Amino acid sequence: MASKIVSLVVNATEREFIARPGDSLLSALRDSLGLTAAKRGCAQGGCGTCTVRVDGRAVPSCLVAVETIEGGAVQTLEGVAADGELDEVQSSFVDNFATQCGFCTAGMIMAAEALLETNPDPSEADVAEAISGNVCRCTGYRSIVNAILDAARRRATATPSIERVAR
Amino acid sequence: MTVRAVHVPESAETAAALVAAGGRVMGGGTVVMPLVNNGGAIEPEWVSLRRAGLDAIRVSEGTAGIGAATTLSAIEAHPALGFLRPAVRSIASPAVRNLATVGGNLFVAQPYGDLAVCLLALDATCEIAGPGGLRVAAVADVLTAGIAAGELVQAVQVPLPGGGTWYYHKAMRRRLNSASIVTVAAVAVLASGVVASVRIALGGVAPRPVRAAAAERALVGRPLTHDVLDEAGRAARTDIEPFDDAYASVWYRTRVLPVHLRRAFLGPD
Repeated sequence: MASKIVSLVVNATEREFIARPGDSLLSALRDSLGLTAAKRGCAQGGCGTCTVRVDGRAVPSCLVAVETIEGGAVQTLEGVAADGELDEVQSSFVDNFATQCGFCTAGMIMAAEALLETNPDPSEADVAEAISGNVCRCTGYRSIVNAILDAARRRATATPSIERVAR
Repeated sequence: MTVRAVHVPESAETAAALVAAGGRVMGGGTVVMPLVNNGGAIEPEWVSLRRAGLDAIRVSEGTAGIGAATTLSAIEAHPALGFLRPAVRSIASPAVRNLATVGGNLFVAQPYGDLAVCLLALDATCEIAGPGGLRVAAVADVLTAGIAAGELVQAVQVPLPGGGTWYYHKAMRRRLNSASIVTVAAVAVLASGVVASVRIALGGVAPRPVRAAAAERALVGRPLTHDVLDEAGRAARTDIEPFDDAYASVWYRTRVLPVHLRRAFLGPD
């Protein structure tokens, strides 16, 4: 089996690493790049805790063979608060007590970020659909849904940052 | 078995050549990657379709040509395919739909593959590349007989149903992201208040999506009323080969089939 050098733009930084055939994006992030926010849960795409964004879209990173997205743009939870300040979704999760054990949180936030970018004023049903692939085994869904709805309100009333306008 | 290679061809021709040479197809990865992750990949060489240029949707003259590597999300978002949106949204989660493909959906095991159920009801066809060139086969034949080793489904051609002729309903354990207990997809054309023609496909009730031929016979020439649909739903019990799984039993699937066939046409009671 021939390993390959794969390059991706991860959290706005170009990264190169070696991948074996069939390695998942999740393995590359965690084991090669040291980005451990995305969690290894079921490895079947069923739990959502490894959710990251690839070219803007939320995907379970365990289901992506990493060499198939060569050159792609990946955003993980580590890239959401790149300047060290929590964004609206993250601060809303804190303020709404939307995190219990924390194992689902990274995936929940990335699914929420993808939702709010395409649908900045979601209904509760929209939020439920957006996180329908993300399992919280503490069953704290109520506060997670509330946090995402609250994040949408915060983002709507926030002064637009230069970065967000530029994006 | 160790994966020896994941090929990422950048054209349909290269993809077809790699498959003809023995590579197995990986569409969006939602079925294959769980096997790879667990060391259970049964094939050492996989051919990803992600960059093969097989993800276009072209609509003309009442037909949609959909590349095999088109994602379910792309179908969900396409304005000419709005009638399929409820079906697509009944499949998995948004994140999985961002990866899962139309072509892959034809080959997943039941009780998954609700889009394949729709394609069967719509009488769609597959464009298949193989060592001998391109051939066209009905989705019905591909679902029944599969395709030969070395062949690759490159696209599906979907006849678009006329306004008001499309019906879809899926019974599942949860409102979102759950496999099928019973899936019903149908195209029914009415004339003078009675069914002139109808194609019904069922999911979740056989090892593959199946036509409900007995139910179709029970409907032709009759109005889509509660009683007529109940009769057609009972007739459909001869069209199925249900199975037990974690979602429902043979008994339950058989018992509720008429209810869901009726709801596909008349909505919830």
